[in-house]
Amino acid sequence: MKKYWTVFKKSLKSETIYRPAALAGIAGSLLGFFMQVFLWKALLGSGARRDTSFSDMLLFIIINSFMLELTRTNVAGIIENSMIDGTISMELLRPMSYKTFLLMNALGKNTYGTLTRTVPILIISVFLISGTPLPNLYHFILFIMSAFLGILLMFEVTYLAGLSAFWLQRCWFIEFYLMGFERIFGGTMVPIWFYPEWLKKMSFFLPFRYMTFEPINFFLGKTPVEEAWFPILMALFWLMALNVLDKCIWQMAVKRLTVNGG
Amino acid sequence: MIDFVGIKVQNNKEARTNMSFIEVKNLSKEYQIAISGKGISGAVKSLFHREYKIKKAVRDVSFSLEKGELVGYIGPNGAGKSTTIKMLSGVLIPTSGLVTVGGIIPYKDRRENAKHIGVVFGQRSQLYWDLPISDTFELYESLYSIPKDKFRENCAYFTELLDMKDFINQPVRQLSLGQKMKANIAIALLHDPDVLYLDEPTIGLDVTSKKILREALKNINAEKKTTVILTTHDMDDIEEVCHRLIMIDQGQKLFDGTLGDFRARYNDGFSLKLEFEGPSPLWQESRTYELLEQPPHQWIIKASEEITSKEAMIELIEKYNPTNIYVEEERIEEIVRRAYALN
Repeated sequence: MKKYWTVFKKSLKSETIYRPAALAGIAGSLLGFFMQVFLWKALLGSGARRDTSFSDMLLFIIINSFMLELTRTNVAGIIENSMIDGTISMELLRPMSYKTFLLMNALGKNTYGTLTRTVPILIISVFLISGTPLPNLYHFILFIMSAFLGILLMFEVTYLAGLSAFWLQRCWFIEFYLMGFERIFGGTMVPIWFYPEWLKKMSFFLPFRYMTFEPINFFLGKTPVEEAWFPILMALFWLMALNVLDKCIWQMAVKRLTVNGG
Repeated sequence: MIDFVGIKVQNNKEARTNMSFIEVKNLSKEYQIAISGKGISGAVKSLFHREYKIKKAVRDVSFSLEKGELVGYIGPNGAGKSTTIKMLSGVLIPTSGLVTVGGIIPYKDRRENAKHIGVVFGQRSQLYWDLPISDTFELYESLYSIPKDKFRENCAYFTELLDMKDFINQPVRQLSLGQKMKANIAIALLHDPDVLYLDEPTIGLDVTSKKILREALKNINAEKKTTVILTTHDMDDIEEVCHRLIMIDQGQKLFDGTLGDFRARYNDGFSLKLEFEGPSPLWQESRTYELLEQPPHQWIIKASEEITSKEAMIELIEKYNPTNIYVEEERIEEIVRRAYALN
C-alpha cells in the first residue's frame, strides 16, 4: 500500500509548485464565498423561507465549499487526456491498479485545494458564525463518515464517466451533464430543503445527494441520529453498485484498448 | 529400463533449454480503422454509418531471443515496430500467434509481466512534469518495492552512467528532450528488469545525447545482463549498439541476423568520393561504377564488389585526375534502403 501513499504525496507535492495559481484560487474562492453569503442574506432577509435561518445557510455555504473542494478533481478529464496522448498504455504497464492510482492522485490534489482554498473561508467565517451551534459529537462523527463516503462516491461517478473516453475519446460533455445533475440532484447550488416535493423525492433515488448534501445535513444536525442509517446505507449501496459496474466496464475498456490499440 | 529413463530425463531438460527467453511465433495483429468520408458531408455521414477497413500492422512474424541479447528492430515509419513492442510488453493482444517472455504470456498476465520488464515508449514521458526526476524515482521505488539499498545503488549507477547529476533536482518541465529521455530510461531500469523495450529512444536527440545513450545501453546490457530490444529507424543506433538486427517492413519480417550477415547479404560494393579543383570532367558510363550524386566539384561513385578499392582508386585517378579521393564502406542506411527496395 506504500505505493499508493507515494502517489498521494507526489500528487500533493505537484500541486504546491504553482504559488500564483494557489493565490488566485484563494482570491476566487473568497469571492465566491462572499457572493453566496450576500445572495442568501438578501433572499432570506426578504422572508422567502422562515424555517431556514441565515446561520444555517452560512454553515451550508461553508461546508458545501469544503465538500466541493474535497471532491473537486475531475478524474474523467485525466482519463480523457491519457487516452488522447496515449499515456494510458504506459499506465497499464505499471504494477498497480489504475483506479486506485487515480483516486490517490485526486485525493492529493483535493487535499491541497482544500487546504489552500477552504481554510481561508473557515478563518473568515469564525467571525461571522458567532453564536451558531456546532454539531454535537454524534452528528460530527456521522458527518465525517458520510463525507468520506461522499468523496468516494463522487470519485466513482467521475471515474465511470471517464471510462467512457475509451469508446468516445472525448468525454467532457458527459462530465458537463454530470455537473448539471450534481447541481440539481445533489443540491450543491441550492439546498434541497427548498426544492418542491417531487424533485426532493427524485433526488433520493439518485446517487448525487449522498455526495455532499447528506454530509452537510449531518453537520447541521438536520438529520436526526436515529434516521442516520438511511443516507449512510444509501451511500454504501451506491458505492457498491457503481463499483461492480465500473469493474465490468473497466474489463471491457481494457479489452477494447488491448485489441484495437491506444 | 534405467537407460530409457535416463534418456527421457535428458530429453526433457533439452526441451526446456530449447525454449528461448523471448519466443514470438507467427505473430499477427490487425486493426480496425474507421474510414471517414471527405468533407463535412462525409463527417456527418460517418456519424451514422461507419465503414471500417482492416489494417494488417504485423503479419506472421516469428523470432526468438536469448537472455542478454541486444537486438535492434528496424523498419520505416508504420512498419509495425511499435505494434510488436506493444504486444511483447502486454498492452496489445495479438490477433493470432504466440508471445512468451520469460515463460509469461504478456497480454494474459500483464501485471506480472510488468514487474519483469522496463518500457520506454519514444515520446511518452512517465515523469512528473512539475517535480524533479528524483520524485519520479521515489514513485518507482515504491511501485516496484525496490529494496532501499538496491534503489540507492541503482540511482547512483544510472545518474553516473547517463550523466544526470546536473539536472536531477530540476523540475522535469525545464529539461531538454535528451535529458527527459535519459530520465525515462533510468526509471524503466530502476527495478532491474530482465528485458528493456525501447521504442525509438534516440528520436529527436542531438549527436552527443545519442552517443551517451548508446554507450549507456551497451554498458547496461554488459553489466546488468539486461535483454534489450530497441526499435529505431536510425541505422547508427543499430551499427553502434546492437549485436543483431531484425528488419521489418509492412508488418513482415525481411531479415533477422547479425550486422555482418546483413552486410554480406545486401552489401554489394563500396562508395568513393572524388573531389575536383575545377569543374568535374565528363562522366564515362561504365559497368563497374555508378555515379550516385554530383554536388559541385564532387562525385559520389558506387563501385561494384567485383573490384578492390585499390584497383578502383588507381583506375579513377588515371581516368579523371581528382584532387582528393575518399573510399567509404557503404553506409548501412544505403543498404537498408536497397533492401527495402529489393523485397
